[in-house]
Amino acid sequence: MAETQAKQPDHWLALGPPGSGGSWGCRIESVGVKLPAQRLTTRDLMSQTSHRTRIQLERLTGIHERHVVGPGENSFTLAAGAARDCLAHSQHQPQDIQMLISTSITRSKGRYTQSFEPPLSLYVKQAIGAAQAANFDLSNACAGMLTGVFILQGLVARGEISCGMVVSGEYISHLSWNAARQIRSLFSKQLASLTLGDAGAAVIVERAPSGTGIDVIGFTTLAEHSRLCLAFPSMVGPGAQMYTKSRTLQKVAIDDMAPLVAEAIGEAGIDLADIDFMIPHQTSARAIRAGTREFVRRLGARPKHVVVNLEEFGNTSSTTLFVALHKYLEEQRIHKGDRVMLLALASGIEIGIAIFTVDSQVDRYGHTH
Amino acid sequence: MGTRIEAASALTSHGLRKPTARRLADAAARTCLAHAGREPGDVDMLINAGIYREDNMGEPALAALIQEDIGANLGQPPIGGHGTFSFDLLNGTCGVITAIQIESGLLDSGVIRLGAIVTSDVDPDHRDPGAVLLQPSGGAMLLGRDEKLAGFTDFSTETFPEYDDLLASGLVWQKRHGYRGPRQAAGQHEMVIECKPGYAARLADCAEEASRRFLRRLGMGWGEIDLVVPAPSSPEFLDALVTRLGVPGDRVAYVTEDLEGAYTTGPIAALQAAIRSGRLGEARTTLMLAAGAGITVALALYRQTPS
Repeated sequence: MAETQAKQPDHWLALGPPGSGGSWGCRIESVGVKLPAQRLTTRDLMSQTSHRTRIQLERLTGIHERHVVGPGENSFTLAAGAARDCLAHSQHQPQDIQMLISTSITRSKGRYTQSFEPPLSLYVKQAIGAAQAANFDLSNACAGMLTGVFILQGLVARGEISCGMVVSGEYISHLSWNAARQIRSLFSKQLASLTLGDAGAAVIVERAPSGTGIDVIGFTTLAEHSRLCLAFPSMVGPGAQMYTKSRTLQKVAIDDMAPLVAEAIGEAGIDLADIDFMIPHQTSARAIRAGTREFVRRLGARPKHVVVNLEEFGNTSSTTLFVALHKYLEEQRIHKGDRVMLLALASGIEIGIAIFTVDSQVDRYGHTH
Repeated sequence: MGTRIEAASALTSHGLRKPTARRLADAAARTCLAHAGREPGDVDMLINAGIYREDNMGEPALAALIQEDIGANLGQPPIGGHGTFSFDLLNGTCGVITAIQIESGLLDSGVIRLGAIVTSDVDPDHRDPGAVLLQPSGGAMLLGRDEKLAGFTDFSTETFPEYDDLLASGLVWQKRHGYRGPRQAAGQHEMVIECKPGYAARLADCAEEASRRFLRRLGMGWGEIDLVVPAPSSPEFLDALVTRLGVPGDRVAYVTEDLEGAYTTGPIAALQAAIRSGRLGEARTTLMLAAGAGITVALALYRQTPS
């Protein structure tokens, strides 16, 4: 056993292979999104609360509206739609995908509020014609998609696969409706449930020459704070309810995230000012601004742009990072050579960081495509 | 250099005051760490591959709660230390082998130094105890690196979606009918598991087909497999499979009677039986085989030969 009890890594994050023995690079090749057509404004949502709350949700969070599912839509249809959109932006065919991971918290399909077995990933791969892919589901709260990328990046870097897909379909607006029945004031622990919107997202990662692609990807779980955000099946209606200690969560996240971001950018050999676009988990505009201010104070530098897309989508849970990345690619605001940092924050507390440089994938987005 | 099984522990709810899925996993993890002579803080990655829980909590991942319970690297990240990364993986009975594949790769590339896999399930359908044979149980295994051992060398996962409707489960909202008081719930979510006749037989068919294909790909014959560690343990599946493959009974790791019916814990329970009997230690080449809903068949080859 002495042989196996080697010195532990000298960093807090579990960091992906580049710099630790990966034979190949791994790049994000394509991003796809599926948004339900139906939209719900914050004003309309708040007009349907059971109690007169006097909460100015739009002013507090910056969320004007969010997409919500219509009849026949659920986690599966959002995930499959996003996977098809991802393939439409990709140079790969469905049969190229060797592993498909479904990472949504919600797994609604058919009559089930939440499907458990078989895994949702099985149905998604069948729907897109990737029957040959190995598949499984994982659940890591709002950090699910980036966790999937972390796993695939390891497999690609070691040469076990050359192409994989991470997909997530989050039908979570039922949490908003369940919260709207119960919320009475600004201090309700269900307040964060009113910020949620539905979306599907998918990402294809592929083999790249060694030393290119994702510069750094790392994760850790600060489990001492595991109970700051809990979601479970509702007793007031179909779907779930979520209880969040938002202020504590924000304080802990800011305190603990700063040294982890420092660790990640140190591993990448860059400075925070070298990040062109920082895409944080989308919770509220105020929280993101406060977090950025604290990063700047502690790390002594500022990323060039901090992406906030809450106004249009709200918090779409595990898909937020890739919905935001997709939007900026489609709007051609991100250019070839830009360095992007994805910053996942999730119940657990899960903190995930990925840094990569955008390359030719930008050519397949926007009106010029 | 390869991935080495440091320890495996599986247990039933017997002796636990309130056998929730979390407590079953906690107990198994603590036992496993003690067997391996490891501290919780040594664990770099913790994957929970359990499925059926009494609360069906959506977030956080149960793995994070287990990490907190066992005390693996809690607190603020200091510079120079190392943390633990935890998440849940859902792939039914095959979840353990999928988790081994993930952790084995990360061990190989030096991303982690010690990986833990935990599982637990409780009876998902309290209304109809006879509906599905599921033994409430928890399991844990530890994977480490060994410079001299080949360890886990090959993996395969195959799905047979033509049988995806033979076993399906999910939460269904059941509205309360009749009079409801002001503080009474409007309804509740109930776990529904539908298992159609012939599931175990098809499971054996698919497992046979996938394992034969796997060994053919590796250029190996059944004579080279010293030990098969299978899951699930139900006789309808296992007896049919072993007979068809022609593997002698003394080369199969059967779970102990108390762990028969263990669900996601099945592979760990079989592994524990193999360790206790000394057969895992003697086997040069071990095939881990799991089959579950989908139908999904997961296979892993473990070689205790020089790397």
